[in-house]
Amino acid sequence: MKRKNYIGLILNAHMPYVRHPEYPRFLEEDWLFEAISETYLPLLRMFRRLRGDGVKFRVTISLSPTLCTMLSDPILQGRFTNYLRLHQKLGEKELVRCAAEAPESLSLARMYLDEITQNLEDYFEIYQCNILEGFKDLEDSGHLDLITTAATHAYLPLFSQYPTAIEAQIELAIQTHINHFKRRPKGFWLPECGYFPGLEEYLQKEEIAYFQLAAQSLALAQEPAKYGNYAPISCPNGVHAFARDFNLTSLVWSNQEGYPADPNYREFYRDIGYDLPLDYIGPYIHEPEVRVFTGFKYHAITGKGDQKNIYRPELAARKVLEHTENFLYEVEKKGRKLAPLIDRDPFYTLAFDTELFGHWWFEGIAWLESLLRKADQGESVVFETPTDYLRRYPDNQELQPALSSWGEGGYSDVWASGSNVWIYRHLHKAIERMEELSVRFPNQSSLKQRFLNQAAREVLLAMSSDWPFIIHNGTFVTYAESRIKDHLGNFNVVYENMCKNAVNTEWLVKAEKRNIVFPDIDYNIFNPDSDRIRYNG
Amino acid sequence: MITVNIDALSISELRYIAKKEGIDDVKLMDREDLVETLKELYEERMSTFGGEGASYSPSTQPRFMNTIVEHELLNSVGPLPGVEPLPDFYPETRIYLLLKDPYWAHAYWSICPTDLQRLEHKEVPFEFFLRVSILKENSQLVEVDSFDIDVSREDTSWNINLPERGCSYLVSLFYRDEKGNNGLLSQSEKVFTPRCYWMDHLDKLQKDRACFTLLTSSLVTKGGVMVENPLLKEVADKLDTWMDN
Repeated sequence: MKRKNYIGLILNAHMPYVRHPEYPRFLEEDWLFEAISETYLPLLRMFRRLRGDGVKFRVTISLSPTLCTMLSDPILQGRFTNYLRLHQKLGEKELVRCAAEAPESLSLARMYLDEITQNLEDYFEIYQCNILEGFKDLEDSGHLDLITTAATHAYLPLFSQYPTAIEAQIELAIQTHINHFKRRPKGFWLPECGYFPGLEEYLQKEEIAYFQLAAQSLALAQEPAKYGNYAPISCPNGVHAFARDFNLTSLVWSNQEGYPADPNYREFYRDIGYDLPLDYIGPYIHEPEVRVFTGFKYHAITGKGDQKNIYRPELAARKVLEHTENFLYEVEKKGRKLAPLIDRDPFYTLAFDTELFGHWWFEGIAWLESLLRKADQGESVVFETPTDYLRRYPDNQELQPALSSWGEGGYSDVWASGSNVWIYRHLHKAIERMEELSVRFPNQSSLKQRFLNQAAREVLLAMSSDWPFIIHNGTFVTYAESRIKDHLGNFNVVYENMCKNAVNTEWLVKAEKRNIVFPDIDYNIFNPDSDRIRYNG
Repeated sequence: MITVNIDALSISELRYIAKKEGIDDVKLMDREDLVETLKELYEERMSTFGGEGASYSPSTQPRFMNTIVEHELLNSVGPLPGVEPLPDFYPETRIYLLLKDPYWAHAYWSICPTDLQRLEHKEVPFEFFLRVSILKENSQLVEVDSFDIDVSREDTSWNINLPERGCSYLVSLFYRDEKGNNGLLSQSEKVFTPRCYWMDHLDKLQKDRACFTLLTSSLVTKGGVMVENPLLKEVADKLDTWMDN
């Protein structure tokens, strides 16, 4: 019998909680809007197209609890609509400008405008402004497996000495997932692939069947992995772990060898938000005269240097096909090489940030579509989910994975570097104090309950892996630092007031308005002694 | 996949970014100068960490970026009423050890003002030091070695180089007075540094081709770059030396 190659594609869709209704427009809110318009909506369209054409595929998507909360937030939904309409106006203006001054870019301007118009139509008519329904629909039809991740995408190894905080991150994530999708997730995306031995114990409590790992996790274990990274392992407690295939993912996710660096693909960094005069582009960027990406990008990568060719979608489409063929060739070649070495069909775990496709790599969604179609036409490559695999192979080698992450160096350095390690002194203290409050003031009602719930929100928001990541990478540092300090400062207001048995109502009303993530949160999740509330969706 | 690609930017983009980055005389600089200056700036920022495989790590890709340069907070969110700035430290005597990777840990500590007053009250000059204990399993975890790091009164954190893998560490904060008296102020929890199987079984990798292929084929790119990890690199280097001999 001919061997098959199974691919477990796992996409992590995540955005930090950014919501500032106190301002008419807020620069960092655009992170979400760009992701919806350039990745999530086009991705949903692509999946629906495949489903409509009868293509068989199974893909796993992790939707982070903060992202779910924002996607279903009426204020952000309204602001996303404004974002699309503003860009639609820019598109219309670009048609006129390009026709007169840059005819070589006219068809591209039209392409972008059509995409925005389509996004508006889908957003209102198909999803009624809540695209989570689109993901749920695809899960209901058996094409997607939706999983979750830590509540605020906390990098868990740096909290390994705080079991209650880890439990809160996981329990709240499951609760949020069930609230949105009416199902308990089977899988759990470890933020940043951050794993420490023992983490599986927390996941088992929440009936999680599997999680993904960084590529080196099994190679660094204290016993050899019988199948390398080509089959999951069973942790000693029975929860399964799938290690990324670095070799195959680097074909996509590498700035040196990856497909997205092809000269024919669209150049991300050339954008009319920077290229056109301020008096023209002014209304579509941020005040006061802060240039931002608009999404209208007319050049191909071409090569080094500023002499860029005009982007030609037909050339890029040809490359997409070429890269699809190449990827399948690489998978099959690898399968042949592995055939004499293992007595099972190999399973390759491909784990990516979802926003890579469409937003960063413009042609990424077309490449995925092409890949899923081609795989379905052939017999040797099959896309399936970890759940499918575990159904076929419930018994796997027992092994304890090693401490690891997918960050530089493979451990925690990115999230505890010279620039950001200062945050842990305050974060750890806030967690301890939150536990203390939960023990001293259990099961409160009314105002104190709201006060303590808000404290729990602030601690969780401060734990997000995004803030140290941003500080380490040197982008939006001021914003990230201010967010951490604000959340921790907010928490301290509750702590100090509760120690005096008081509630600062002015603060509470404003804080609830500002950070209303996880509306159903129960601060008792921080009580190490409390009986856990079980959610059986 | 994508890092800030300075070469790709137009002269107007470059001038705009250079100005925002605080570079002087932007108008006088030609494209080449601008590219060179910005590259130097960004390389300096990125040089804090990163080996050969770093550019393949998802953590080196920019995220949440809708502008090329950072701006000061456009809209000052501002603290809510009653929010105070974070303290430099908390009023407790305590030391905490955070494992960054198998080679480095980060210790942070604080000393309660009353403890400090107590020491100052003795009127004997004193200083602080950290004692790093190396613990190994021998039916139970026992200290097999230790080393001291002198720290000043102003220090509140320290990056500690861990000499061995496959053992546990804990760090203690001590004072030492001029008369030679030591006193323990606080002790951290233990952290464990992993050691991998292959470190002690290189012969298997060398002799068993199948084993070698299974291990490495998912850890190396098509172009031959290994996933960035110091332990794996140590294994690979040892294997190279072994094979050379």
